[in-house]
Amino acid sequence: MGMRKRSKYFAVSTLALLSLGTITACGTSTSTTSPPSSPAVNTSNQTLNIGLSADPPTLDPAYSSALVDRQVMFNLYDTLFQLSSKNTIIPDLVKSYTVSPDGLTYTLQLHQHVKFQDGTPFNAAAVKFNLTRDMQPASARHSSLADVTNVTTPSTYTVVIQLKKPLSPLPAILAGRAGMMVSPTAVQKEGSNYPNDPVGTGPFEFKSRVKGSTIKLVRNPHYWRAEPKLSAVTYRIFTDPNVELTNLQSGAVQIVDTVPPQQVSSMEQNSNFTVVNHTGLGYEGVYLNVKQGPFTNLFLRQAVNLAINRQTLVNVALKGVATPANSPFSAASPVYNAQEDVPPTASTSEMKRLLSEGGKPHGFSFTLQSANDPVTTQVDQIMQSMLAQYGIQMKIEQLDFGTLLANNEAHNFQASFLGWSGRLDPDQNVYSFFYKNGALNASQFVNAQADTLLNQARQESSMAQRAKTYAAFVQIIQQQVPYVFLYHQNNVFAYAKTVQGFHYYSDGVIRAYGLSLS
Amino acid sequence: MAYAAKRLVTMIPVLIFLSIIVFSLIHLIPGNPAQVILGQDASPSSIRALEMQLGLNLPLPEQYLSWLGGILHGNLGRSLLDNQPVSQLILQSLPVTAELAVGTIIVAIAIAFPLGILAAVYRDRWADAVTLFVSTIGISVPPFWLGMIFLIEFTVRVHWFPSSGYEPLWSHPLRNLSVMTLPILATGFREAGVLLRMLRASLLDVLDQDFIRTARAKGISGWKVIFHHATKNALIPVITTGGLQIAGLLGGIVITETIFSLPGFGSLLVESVFSRDYTTIQGTALVAALAVVVVNLLVDITYGLVDPRMRK
Amino acid sequence: MHPNETGSVVGIVSPQPLRVRIGWEDIRKRFSLYVGGVMVVFVLLGALFAPFFTPYSPIQQNYSAVLQGVSMAHWLGTDNLGRDTFTRLLFGARTSMEVTIGSALLGVVVGVPIGLLSGFYQGWFDDLILMRIIDALQAFPFLILALVLAAMLGPGIRNAAIAIGIGYIPIFVRTVRGQVLKEKNKEYIEAARMTGCRSSRLMIVHLLPNIMTPLLVQITLAIANGIVTEASLGYLGLSAQPPTASWGSMLQVAQGYISTDPLMAIAPGLAIVFAVLGFNLLGDGLQSRLNKRQV
Repeated sequence: MGMRKRSKYFAVSTLALLSLGTITACGTSTSTTSPPSSPAVNTSNQTLNIGLSADPPTLDPAYSSALVDRQVMFNLYDTLFQLSSKNTIIPDLVKSYTVSPDGLTYTLQLHQHVKFQDGTPFNAAAVKFNLTRDMQPASARHSSLADVTNVTTPSTYTVVIQLKKPLSPLPAILAGRAGMMVSPTAVQKEGSNYPNDPVGTGPFEFKSRVKGSTIKLVRNPHYWRAEPKLSAVTYRIFTDPNVELTNLQSGAVQIVDTVPPQQVSSMEQNSNFTVVNHTGLGYEGVYLNVKQGPFTNLFLRQAVNLAINRQTLVNVALKGVATPANSPFSAASPVYNAQEDVPPTASTSEMKRLLSEGGKPHGFSFTLQSANDPVTTQVDQIMQSMLAQYGIQMKIEQLDFGTLLANNEAHNFQASFLGWSGRLDPDQNVYSFFYKNGALNASQFVNAQADTLLNQARQESSMAQRAKTYAAFVQIIQQQVPYVFLYHQNNVFAYAKTVQGFHYYSDGVIRAYGLSLS
Repeated sequence: MAYAAKRLVTMIPVLIFLSIIVFSLIHLIPGNPAQVILGQDASPSSIRALEMQLGLNLPLPEQYLSWLGGILHGNLGRSLLDNQPVSQLILQSLPVTAELAVGTIIVAIAIAFPLGILAAVYRDRWADAVTLFVSTIGISVPPFWLGMIFLIEFTVRVHWFPSSGYEPLWSHPLRNLSVMTLPILATGFREAGVLLRMLRASLLDVLDQDFIRTARAKGISGWKVIFHHATKNALIPVITTGGLQIAGLLGGIVITETIFSLPGFGSLLVESVFSRDYTTIQGTALVAALAVVVVNLLVDITYGLVDPRMRK
Repeated sequence: MHPNETGSVVGIVSPQPLRVRIGWEDIRKRFSLYVGGVMVVFVLLGALFAPFFTPYSPIQQNYSAVLQGVSMAHWLGTDNLGRDTFTRLLFGARTSMEVTIGSALLGVVVGVPIGLLSGFYQGWFDDLILMRIIDALQAFPFLILALVLAAMLGPGIRNAAIAIGIGYIPIFVRTVRGQVLKEKNKEYIEAARMTGCRSSRLMIVHLLPNIMTPLLVQITLAIANGIVTEASLGYLGLSAQPPTASWGSMLQVAQGYISTDPLMAIAPGLAIVFAVLGFNLLGDGLQSRLNKRQV
C-alpha cells in the first residue's frame, strides 16, 4: 500500500464489539455528551512531540485520503459524532439526534456556543456547508455520502439529513472525515489555499508546517470543552519507521504512530516505554482480476487462495505482529465471525484437484503487482515460494503507489496486492470492494446474491442481524475468491512513560486532548 | 561581458528543452495527481471531477503553455497536491540542501587540501600512493550507504547524534548542526576524494611549469614554492572543474536526504515524483537545472577570463 | 569526468635528496591497472559463475534459519527469509553487472555515433540544437532522471539498464565529440583526407581507433558510477524485482534491521565498494597508460 501502508490503521480494542448497536438502532434512540469534569484553568507549558511515519498529504478533510492525515486532523477538528475510547460511536458536536422509523431521516441537534478557531460560530449552516462541500464529486468524501439526498437547516442549531436508502453506518461515517467540521469562513476566504491554514473547532489549532519535516499545533484557548492540558503538539515526520523508533528512544519524540514488527518484542521489554499492540480492523490481501486470464477461471482463483499458508506468512514477514485472515472482518469488528476467519489449510491432493479442474494440472503463471515497501517485499516473496511448491509461478512487479492506483482503477493487472486500512462499521470494509462497479472493486467481481446481501445489511438496524447477513456474504466471497485475504494488520504504538492519560482508540489515531507530560 | 551575455542567451533554449523533456516524461508515468489525492477508494467519477478541477483534462500542449506562461511572469505555479506555491516549497527546502552542499564542500576542502598538497609534494612516493588509493576508496563508497553505516554506529549504537528532527540553522543552530553533521560527512568523504584527485593532478601540472622551476632554481624551498606559487595557480582549474561536480552532488544528496529524513530539495523532488505533483516536479526540476546551468556558466566565464582563447 | 590523475614524469627537481626507488615507480604506475583489473575480474567471475561458488540457492527460503550471524555454514550470515547472504551477494553482482554493462552499451551504441558525427561535422545543428539538448539532459540530476525513467518504464533489470543508459548518452557524446575535435585536425587525418578518403571511412577507420582508449576509460568509469546508481534504484525498489538478488534491494531490506542485524547492511555495501573501487582503479590505470602514450 505504498506510503499509506505505513500510515495508521483503524483498529479496535477487544473491549469494543457490539456497542455500535446503540447508535444504529432506528427510532428514537438519543444520547448526549456531558462536558468533562475538570474545567481547571490551564497554565502548563508542555509540548508533546509525536512521531509520524509519513507526511500527511493534506489537512483538508474533503480531500484527504491518506490515513496519516487523520493523526493531525482529529486534533484540529471536532466531528459530528465521535469514536469513544470504549469503541462506541457517540455524539460529539452533535448534542442529540433522532432517526426516523424508516431510517431515511436523521435529525441532529447541535451543541451551542461552539466557535471555530477563527472566532466564527459553529451552527447548522456550517454543518450544511461542510456536508455539501464533502458531497461534491471531486471530494474524497463523495462516495461515503453518496446516499445523502438533501441537507436542511430548520433552525440555527438543527440539521436534517435525508437519505436515498437506509444507511445504518451514517453516524460512523460522520465520526470520520466526513463529519469533520471546517470553518466555512476560512474556506471561503482561503479558497484552494485552505489546506495550508486549516481552521476547525478542535482542541488544538494549526500554527505552522514545514513539508516533510514538522507540523505544529498549539492549544486552542477558546476550546468549547475544558482547555487541553498540553500547550502545543508538534508532529515530526520520519520516512523510516526505524529512524522514528530511534527518535523515541533518544527522547526526541514521546509517542510514535508505528513500531516495526521486528522491534515490537524488544520494545515491550523496555521499561521506559509502553507498547500498544492490538488487532486492527483492516486487512491485507490480493485482488484477483476475474475479467482477465488466468483468473477468469474460478478453480485457479481457489488454488491460489488455498496455496498460501497465512500463519507462516505472518510469523516470518510480520514476526507475528498481525493476525492470519480469511475474511474481511477481524476480531476487532462488531461482526467478527471466528470460524469464517480461519484460513484454509492446503493439501496436495486438493491443490492437484483444483489445478486439473482449472485445466492447468502442471501449474500456471501470473504477475502480481504490489507496492515496494520492506514488509510487502517479504510477503510477496513468501507467497511466491509457497505458490511455486504447486507449480504456480508468480512474477512480482513492484510499483510505486501512484502507478498501483492507476492500474487498479483501470483493472490493468492479473493480481494486485493492495489492502484496506479498515473502518469501524463493517459496511465500509466490504460494500465498495465487492458491490458491482464499486470504487474499490478492482477485481471486477459481480455477484447478484452478494449485492443483495450487502444492501440488506445497510438496512438492518441491529448489529447481530447484520452479522448474520455478513456471514452469508463472506461465504460467497470465500467460494468465489475475487480477493485473497491474507492477514489483519495490527495497530502498534509506543510511548514514553512520561506521557500521562493515554487512551487507545480503535481507529489508531492519537488524541492529544487528554494527554499531559510528567 | 558580451561573452557572458551570449552564454546566457544560449541557456534559454537549454532550459526550454529541459522543461519540455521533464513535462513529457512525467506525463508518461502512469497515474495522475487526482488519483493520488483521492486515494484507493475514489470512484472514477470523483477522479474525473478532480482532474477537471485541477485542469488535467486540458490537452497537454495547452497545459504546458499555461505553465510556461506562468514561468515567464515569474510564477512557478502551485502544488497540485496541497496548493502551496511551488516557490514557497522550494524556498523551504533549498536551505537544507544548500547547507548540506556547502557543508559537504567544506569537509571536502578540509580533507582534500592538506592531503592533495602532501600527495603532490611527495609525488610518486608512498605518501602519494597511499593518499591516492584512499581517495579512490573515497569516491567508491556510495554516500547513502555510508549514511546508513553512520546511523548504525553513531545514532543507534552510541547516541552521539540525533538521526533526524531538522531545524533551521538560524533558529536552532546547535540542533541544526548536530542533525546535519552525519549527512554532511556521508556526502563529504566522497567529494573529498574527487577534489583530492583533481587538486593533485592540477598541482602536478603547475609544478612542471617553467615559472615554478625558475623559482626553485632561485633556491626557494619546496614547501614555499608549493604554498606561494603553485597552490594559487593550481586552484583555478580545480574550482572550475569542481563547479561541474555540483550536478552530480545534487543527485547524490537526494538519497542521503531520504536516509536522514531531511526535508530538502531532493526529498521534495522524489516525493513529488511519487505523488505525481506535476507543477512541483516541473518547478523543482527547473530550479535544479537553473542552478547547474548558472554554475556551468560561471565556470565557463572563469575559463574565459583565465584563458582568452576560450572566448569564441 | 576524472582529470589527469598521474601527471607526467618528465624531470622534476626533487625537494629531497635522491633515494633508491628501484621498481617502486613501476609498481606504482601499474598498481591501479593490476589491482583494479584483478578486482574487476573477481566481480565478473562472481557474476558469471555465481552458482559454482556456493552450495546455496539465492532464492530458496529457509524459515528455520533466518537472520543468522556469521558461521562456517553462512560466511556472511543469512537474511530475513533465511537465504545465505554471501550467495545473494554473488548473484547481486550478476544483477549489478547486467544493469551497468547493459546501460554502458546503450550509452556507447547511441552516444558514440552521435558524438562522432557532431564532432566531425559541427555546424549549427551541433552547436545550437544537439549540444543544447545534451546540456539540458546533463543539467538534470542524473539519479532523478533515472528515477523518473524507471518509474515511467516500470521496474526490472532491463528497464533499469535503459534508464541509466539514457543518462549515459550525453556523457559519451561529449567524450567522443571532445576527442574528435582534438584529433580531427591532426596530421594523420589531414593526410588521409588528402588521399581522398570518404568521410565515413575517415571516421570509422581513422578516427575511431584513436579515441578508443579515452572511450574505454570512460566506459570503465561509467560502470563504476552505474553500480552506485543501480544500487540507488534498487534501494528505491526500481531495479531487479524480487526474488532476484540485487545489492540495492538488499540494502533496502537491511534498513529495517539496522539496529538488530547490521551485517545485513554492511555486507552489500562492502560488495558495492569493492566493485566500484575495482572499476575506478582500472579506469585510473587505463588513464595513466593513455597519458604515457601521449607523452
